[in-house]
Amino acid sequence: MKSVTNRGWLFVLPSALILSLVGLVPLVTVINYSFFEIFILDQRFWVGTEWYAEIITSGRFWSSFGRSLLFSALVLCIQIPLGIAIALCIPKRQLWVGFALAGVALPLLVPWNMIPALWLSLMNPDSGIIGGLLASAGWTGGWKTSAVQTWIVLLAMDTWHWTSLVILLCYSALTTIPPAYYQAAAIDGAGPWQIFRHIQLPALTHVLLMAVLLRFMDSFMIYAEAFPINAGGPDGATTFLAVDLGEDIKAFNYGPSAARSVIYFLIVVLVAWTFTKAQTRLDRDAKEVAS
Amino acid sequence: MMLRRALKTFALLAFLIWSILPLTQMALLSFISTLPQPGIEVGSLTLSNYAGILGNPALASAFANSIAYVLINICITLPVAIPAAYAFSRMSFAGDRQLFFAFIALRITPPVVLTLPIFQLFSALGIVNSVFGIALAHCLFTLPVSIWILQSFVSAVPRELDETAFLDGYSRPRFIWTFLLPQIAPGIAVTAFFCFMFSWVEVVFARILTTTNGKPISMAISALFGFQTDIGLVMAVTTASMIPGALLLFAMRNHLSRGFRIGRL
Repeated sequence: MKSVTNRGWLFVLPSALILSLVGLVPLVTVINYSFFEIFILDQRFWVGTEWYAEIITSGRFWSSFGRSLLFSALVLCIQIPLGIAIALCIPKRQLWVGFALAGVALPLLVPWNMIPALWLSLMNPDSGIIGGLLASAGWTGGWKTSAVQTWIVLLAMDTWHWTSLVILLCYSALTTIPPAYYQAAAIDGAGPWQIFRHIQLPALTHVLLMAVLLRFMDSFMIYAEAFPINAGGPDGATTFLAVDLGEDIKAFNYGPSAARSVIYFLIVVLVAWTFTKAQTRLDRDAKEVAS
Repeated sequence: MMLRRALKTFALLAFLIWSILPLTQMALLSFISTLPQPGIEVGSLTLSNYAGILGNPALASAFANSIAYVLINICITLPVAIPAAYAFSRMSFAGDRQLFFAFIALRITPPVVLTLPIFQLFSALGIVNSVFGIALAHCLFTLPVSIWILQSFVSAVPRELDETAFLDGYSRPRFIWTFLLPQIAPGIAVTAFFCFMFSWVEVVFARILTTTNGKPISMAISALFGFQTDIGLVMAVTTASMIPGALLLFAMRNHLSRGFRIGRL
C-alpha cells in the first residue's frame, strides 16, 4: 500500500517548479499569442480566433496534417514490430547481451542535425556505401525528384535512428518476465507463438504504449531530420506540419505560428490522453481476469 | 530449436550491421581529405581532419560547451528528480496521477512549439547565449524521463526498508539520503546516462538559445556547412562528438535495459 499524504507534494515541488518555468509558462505564452496580431512584441492587437479559423480552413494545413499522419503511421507500423522482433532476438543472459544493446543504441548518440548529412553521404552514388551499391545495381540516384523515393530514404533514416529506443524499451520489459512462466509454458507444450501471445505480449503492453506515444510524437513533429534531406520537396511531398510551422516562425508571423503551435499541442494532448485511457482500461481488464 | 536460435542470431546480427553501416560511412569519410589542402591529395587517407579539429578554436570550445551544459543539466535534473520519483513511487497525494500525466505531456510537447516563448523568457532572465540556459531548457525533457526511470528503480526497493527506517526514527529526507540512494545507485547512473544522451544530441533549443556564444557541438558542425563544405572535417567532428557517448554507453551496457522496467504512465 502507498501511504496517503499530501506531503508528497513537497517532494515533487522542485520538479514542478522547473517544469513550470521551461514548459508551462512558455505554453501559456504561446496560447496567449495565438489570439493576437503581433507586429513588434509590444505592439499587438486582439484578433480573437481569427488565426485558428484561417488555419483550419486552409488546404495547406490539412495536406501537411495528412502527410504527417501518414508518416507517423508508417513509422509506427515499421518500428514497433521491428523493435519487438529484435528485442526478442536478444538472448536472455549471456556475455554479449551488453554488447548487442550498446551496438543497437549507437545511432541514438548522433547529433540530430547530423543524421541527414550522414544519410546524404551514405546515399551518394559516388562515395556512399548504399548509394554505391545501388548505383552498381543500375539505380540512377533519382530520389531527390521522386516523392516515393524521398519518403523511403526518410523512413529508412528514421527507422535507423529510433528503432533502438523501441528495442531498449521492449527488451527491458521482457527481462521482467519470471523464468517460471517459460518453464510452465514448456510443460504445457506451448509453441513460440503461444508464448509470445500469452506471456511476452502482456508483459510488453505498458512499455509498448509508451513507445508508441514517444515514437508517434517525435515522428509527427519531425523537422530537424526531415528538412535537410529534400527541403520539404519534391513538390511539397515531404512538407510536414513542423516544416510549415518553421516557415511561419522564420517569416516572423508570431500570431499564426502560435495558433499553429496550439493546434499541434492539442493534437498531442488528445493522443496522449487517449493512450492513458487505453492503458487504464487494460489495467482494469487485467485485474478482472486476475480476480 | 537450434534453427530458431540461429535465425534469431542472424536477425540480430543483420540489425547490428544496419545500425553500424551509416556510422562506418561516417568514420571512413572522416579519414579522407575532401578539400584541396597543401601537400595532401583530395581523396587520400589522412589524419588532417582530426588535426583540423584541434586547430579550430571554435570547435574546441564547442566541445567544452557541450560537456558543460550536459553536466549542468544532470546536476539540476537528478537532485529534483530523485525526491519526485520517490514520491510518485511511495506516496499517494491529491492529483498525483494527473501531475505525472502533466509531466509526461510536457515531455512529448513538440519543442518547436515552445521555442519562441522560451527564447523571450530566457532573454528576460538574461540566460540566452549561455551554457546554463541550454541546460535549463533541456530539463523540459530530461526531467520527466528521469522521474520515469528513477521511479522504476525506487519501486524495486522493498518497502520494508522504508518502514524499518521510520521505526528507527529516520525522517524521509534522511532515509532517502542514507538508505535509498546507495540502493538505487545503478539507477542514478542509468538516469544520468539518458540525460546525457538526450541533451547531447538535441538541436532545436540549442539552436535558438545560442546565437553568438555558448554554441554546442551540433551548432558548430552546422556552421561548417557553407559554399565549400569540408565534408571530411564535418564527419571527423561528428565522429569525435560520439566518442564520450560511446564510452558511457559501453560502461553502462549491462544496466541499460533496467532503465525502463515499468510502464505506468
